[in-house]
Amino acid sequence: MTEAAAPAPVATVTRPRHTLWGDAWTRLRRNRLAIAGGSVIIVVALAAIFSPLITPYGFADQDLNSIMLGPTLAHPLGTDELGRDVLARLLYGARTSLAVGVFTQIIVVLIGLPLGAIAGAVGGRLDNMLMRFVDVMYAFPDILLIILLRAVFGGSIFMIFLAIGLVAWVNIARLTRGQVMSLKGRDFITAARVMGGSQRYVMLRHLVPNSLGPIIVVLTFNVPRAIFAEAALSYIGIGVRPPTPSWGAMIRDGYDLIFANSNLVLFPALSVGVLMLAFTFLGDGLRDALDPRLRR
Amino acid sequence: MADLLQVRDLTTHFFTRDGEVGAVDGVSYSVAAGETIALVGESGCGKTVSALSIVRLIPEPPGRILSGKVLFDGADLLQLPADEMRLVRGGKIAMIFQEPMTSLNPVLTVGRQITEALELHQHMNRQDAFRETVRLLKLVGIPNADQRARSYPHHLSGGMRQRVMIAMAISCKPKLIIADEPTTALDVTIQAQLLELMRSIARDLGTATILITHNLGVVARYARRVYVMYAGKIVEHGPALAVYHDPRHPYTVGLLASVPRLDEPRKTRLAPIEGQPPDLVSLPRGCAFQARCSFYSGGCEGQALDLLEVSPGHYSVCWQGRKGREEWAKT
Repeated sequence: MTEAAAPAPVATVTRPRHTLWGDAWTRLRRNRLAIAGGSVIIVVALAAIFSPLITPYGFADQDLNSIMLGPTLAHPLGTDELGRDVLARLLYGARTSLAVGVFTQIIVVLIGLPLGAIAGAVGGRLDNMLMRFVDVMYAFPDILLIILLRAVFGGSIFMIFLAIGLVAWVNIARLTRGQVMSLKGRDFITAARVMGGSQRYVMLRHLVPNSLGPIIVVLTFNVPRAIFAEAALSYIGIGVRPPTPSWGAMIRDGYDLIFANSNLVLFPALSVGVLMLAFTFLGDGLRDALDPRLRR
Repeated sequence: MADLLQVRDLTTHFFTRDGEVGAVDGVSYSVAAGETIALVGESGCGKTVSALSIVRLIPEPPGRILSGKVLFDGADLLQLPADEMRLVRGGKIAMIFQEPMTSLNPVLTVGRQITEALELHQHMNRQDAFRETVRLLKLVGIPNADQRARSYPHHLSGGMRQRVMIAMAISCKPKLIIADEPTTALDVTIQAQLLELMRSIARDLGTATILITHNLGVVARYARRVYVMYAGKIVEHGPALAVYHDPRHPYTVGLLASVPRLDEPRKTRLAPIEGQPPDLVSLPRGCAFQARCSFYSGGCEGQALDLLEVSPGHYSVCWQGRKGREEWAKT
């Protein structure tokens, strides 16, 4: 920084300013696994976004002269039973998987966080009612509910996000409520109320920001679960509609031909596994980085 | 002098599984404008609950203010609608807490926490509020105020944080500051500094102060009048000097005797008050202090517990204490 005009006061000792999130970032950087996980996610995301630049094939392009090939120069991961390039399908499939992972979490946050925060902050009868509703949602078998929602709402990919999100928000609602309730008794909340803060203000400004750490962690862990849920849906045939590729659908299709060409199962399965691990490692690292007890 | 705050027969009970706890039981006190009074007593005697009752921040349930009046500036705070009460909190009555380490929001800069109060009560815009915050932080003796305003609470020491709390408390020029054991969690050297700071600020701004403490050394120096609380009741009150030199309740006598003194040989053992504070769920009949009282006599159970004047402005509930000093010394 070159601020020539500013005459620095000699006596002032200025330390670099640490923001809360800056500190967390410093700690996260020290965690190699988390950084590795984060890097994998970024690479996969970039690959998904720029897939047309990486592979010359489209995900539905068939070359009936080269069916069920093993890895070759032209098709690095081989082709499937319809002559489609496996690498291209994997890359485009990453779009589906990542989109499912991210958009479901947005839905989860939009529903779960406000409900949990309100239940925790207001308490009493409202809390009781909201939480019993959450219990009902929680007790209902997830996959069954998703199948039901898919049947009701029909087939577009946004409906997959919605269906998975509508099932997964209960965890966040419970977590947020718990966080808010434990924060509610803290001195600084009383202090904020003594200074005249309204319930809304205290909730938005003090309760929710202080609960964000654990929520972010759980969201990160939720992403692989959502990806896996989509893979499971595609596996039983109610996921994305062919020929749109998704990793789950690719595994299902490849499973039928596992003895003919095991690559068709191997590569998508590996991709799901690696991406889920990456999110899990990142979530693990975030949990350590955002834990206030480790704050240094 | 007109009273700024009059607490009359305030009764706050907590309804727990073990029974009804009379945390504050018919307490009355008053504070004149600009005056500093002290509320003294051991842990669990109801000091903090009585203060939180004034601003109506008793956790409810299990607590409930059962009866009484809190007249502040002509209005009964206990009858005020919630939104008006919110303007009183922070705007007219501010509070400083015991534990500076936990009474600031860890995810907001300290400056932001003060500016938000200014924006709410003084309707300032961001820039003005920030400038005012820096001025306040300077006023409470924080060096590098404009940088410190951008610091997070975990960058500051306990003493600094308590200074921030004081700055926040005075930010909206309240008429009354309730300081709930403001120095208990701090170093002895810092304690004196902060109390001096609070006193000079209160004097400059004409703010009245309720100093809640169990440190009798603090009381003598900073408060004009003292209220001694025991088991949810006020057992003795009067001008600080009178209560110090001529305590008329055995509990006050015990408290004074248990304070270490510099003017006595160091080998002298401190005289603690024997026994435990009574269980507030099942108080004995009559005086709550009888089980620990060294002046106990058979007549104690039957006595009414009214605050009666023993000398001008000095009241006690103890019927033996009221007899006078000489009489008392004989027993």
